[in-house]
Amino acid sequence: MSVEAQQGITTSRIPAGLGGLFPALILIGLFFVVPVLALLLRSVTDPAPGLQNYAALLGDGTYVRVFFNTFVVAFVVTIVTVVVAFPVAWMLAIMPPALASILFGIIILSMWTNLLTRTYAWMVLLQRTGVINRALMGAGIIDQPLPLINNLTGVTIGMVYIMLPFMILPLVGTLRAIDPMTLRAAALCGASPFAAFRRILLPLSLPGIAAGGLMVFVMSLGYFVTPALLGGTSNMMLAEMIAQMIQSLLNWGLGSAAAFILLVVTMALYALQLRLVGSKRAAGGA
Amino acid sequence: MTQPFLSIRKLRKAFGAFTAVHNVTLDIPKGEFLTFLGPSGSGKSTTLYAIAGFQDPTSGDVLLQGKSLLSVPSHKRNIGMVFQRYTLFPHLSVAENVAFPLRVRRRPETEVRRKVADMLSLVRLESFAERLPAALSGGQQQRVALARALAYDPPILLMDEPLSALDKKLREEIQAEIRRIHRETGVTILYVTHDQEEALHLSDRIALFRDGRIEQIGTGEDLYLRPTTDFVAGFIGNSNFLAAEHLETVGGASTIRLADGALVSGINANGSFAPGQKTRLMIRPEAFRLERSSNNAELSVEIVDVAFYGERRRIVARTSAGQEIDIRPTSSAAATHDASPGRRQVFFDPAGAFLFPAPSKTGKELTY
Repeated sequence: MSVEAQQGITTSRIPAGLGGLFPALILIGLFFVVPVLALLLRSVTDPAPGLQNYAALLGDGTYVRVFFNTFVVAFVVTIVTVVVAFPVAWMLAIMPPALASILFGIIILSMWTNLLTRTYAWMVLLQRTGVINRALMGAGIIDQPLPLINNLTGVTIGMVYIMLPFMILPLVGTLRAIDPMTLRAAALCGASPFAAFRRILLPLSLPGIAAGGLMVFVMSLGYFVTPALLGGTSNMMLAEMIAQMIQSLLNWGLGSAAAFILLVVTMALYALQLRLVGSKRAAGGA
Repeated sequence: MTQPFLSIRKLRKAFGAFTAVHNVTLDIPKGEFLTFLGPSGSGKSTTLYAIAGFQDPTSGDVLLQGKSLLSVPSHKRNIGMVFQRYTLFPHLSVAENVAFPLRVRRRPETEVRRKVADMLSLVRLESFAERLPAALSGGQQQRVALARALAYDPPILLMDEPLSALDKKLREEIQAEIRRIHRETGVTILYVTHDQEEALHLSDRIALFRDGRIEQIGTGEDLYLRPTTDFVAGFIGNSNFLAAEHLETVGGASTIRLADGALVSGINANGSFAPGQKTRLMIRPEAFRLERSSNNAELSVEIVDVAFYGERRRIVARTSAGQEIDIRPTSSAAATHDASPGRRQVFFDPAGAFLFPAPSKTGKELTY
């Protein structure tokens, strides 16, 4: 009897669980899977069936340059973000918890501030007659305004600022898990502060750098507002190009194909990261 | 006067208003195994950290072969250290952990390999070379840490409670390893522990710390058999302290009156006492005898409980003044001389008992 009862429970549990999941599955299907499939469909059917949209994108030097430019910007932004975020994250990881939570609050507050406002603020700071250029000229350090806006420099500065929290947060988690005594041990073993950083701290924080770095890189690939406002016409990014294709040229097929290429590249990068960091982690935990 | 190998000169460390170490001065000859023993917060770890370079002393100096270490950063002191917690590098294999100090010193690859093999065989972990630290037990991790700390032949090895995270059986096993490694390598070891048994088993000399000062320094036997203060007597081994009134001291031998009115003479006096001064008489539990012999003093007690502890028995007895004492005769003596509950006399050699002033701030009664 008890065996039957148990079987009854186990057999009825699976459909019951699935039934509960149904609304969520419908939501995901309707709002996430269907649009992506529609995008894919449009890219190979509009204006006529075939791969001509992809051929046009990958065959035209202008389009390829936009792709290339997008990756360069995303890469530079990621590297600069890691370099700037690491010391901040380390400080947050080792400082007293009460003080650290105040600093966390400040960082999160900046994330909650409107993106457009923050980007316009950077325009005010970076333009030819902006605060930075005037201060530097006033101090006599430069006599010509530095070209800080409408170019790669402006985009990098603006985007690094916006991406920093996404790098700092996962990195602090990883760094907090490292026992500071490990670094003392490294010092007594004869490691200079730099050697201890390179041989111990950096390898141990790699999972956090990889997680944050991937997030920043992927977000940067599809970023629109900041490159549009702080960037120049000569180094357009993919999101801007897609907007132009659809808004100005009304070429939905080409825009869909560009968006789909971006999606595939992003997924490939994610898979690569899982392979590299995932396997390293598994080995570390063995 | 020959120059000491390692010398600690009037070391003082204050954290704000709190002084963790007061003017500690100590000379350590080459090859010695010296243990800093003491309760937590007694300044033993702070002293060790000053030698390691993790904490700058407020004043004083640490000299290695006559040269001050204080201006030398940790990574250039060339000191080995094993920590309380496991501090192996989790992303490096056992062999690479041991190789680490040699790699940062840019030693040639052949030398690194040879040295790593030597060290792993010293701690008997040759077959674990390729494992990651997480795949080792706590005891094995501490042995790897020991191998790593010795890989670059440091003149001094510091050990900060390295066995406190291990269970009793492993502790004893690694203690034996540490003794063997000290014997084989001849390295000078400074060892911090709060465990008096560990200190007695391992050390050539013990410095007993209390409230930031060295209370007594000497061999384990010195501290056990010739404690200079009641704190030392209470901290090392087990002690009974009996309330007593000092009557007179002639030529280093005191006469006292115990709480039950009995007079005892021929006691070792530590320091000078005034006639009538309140004192405490310290007697080790194993110094009590059940049989009378010449020159022995006697004490009238009521035996309350007898427990069998293998080679010894542990007797809980009460003096006629109502104080509980601990007596540990050998099991054979207890069997021969009938240590069953009830009133009887017990005996002790006055020359093996010590007189200390009373009361003491932190002296422990009947420590076990």
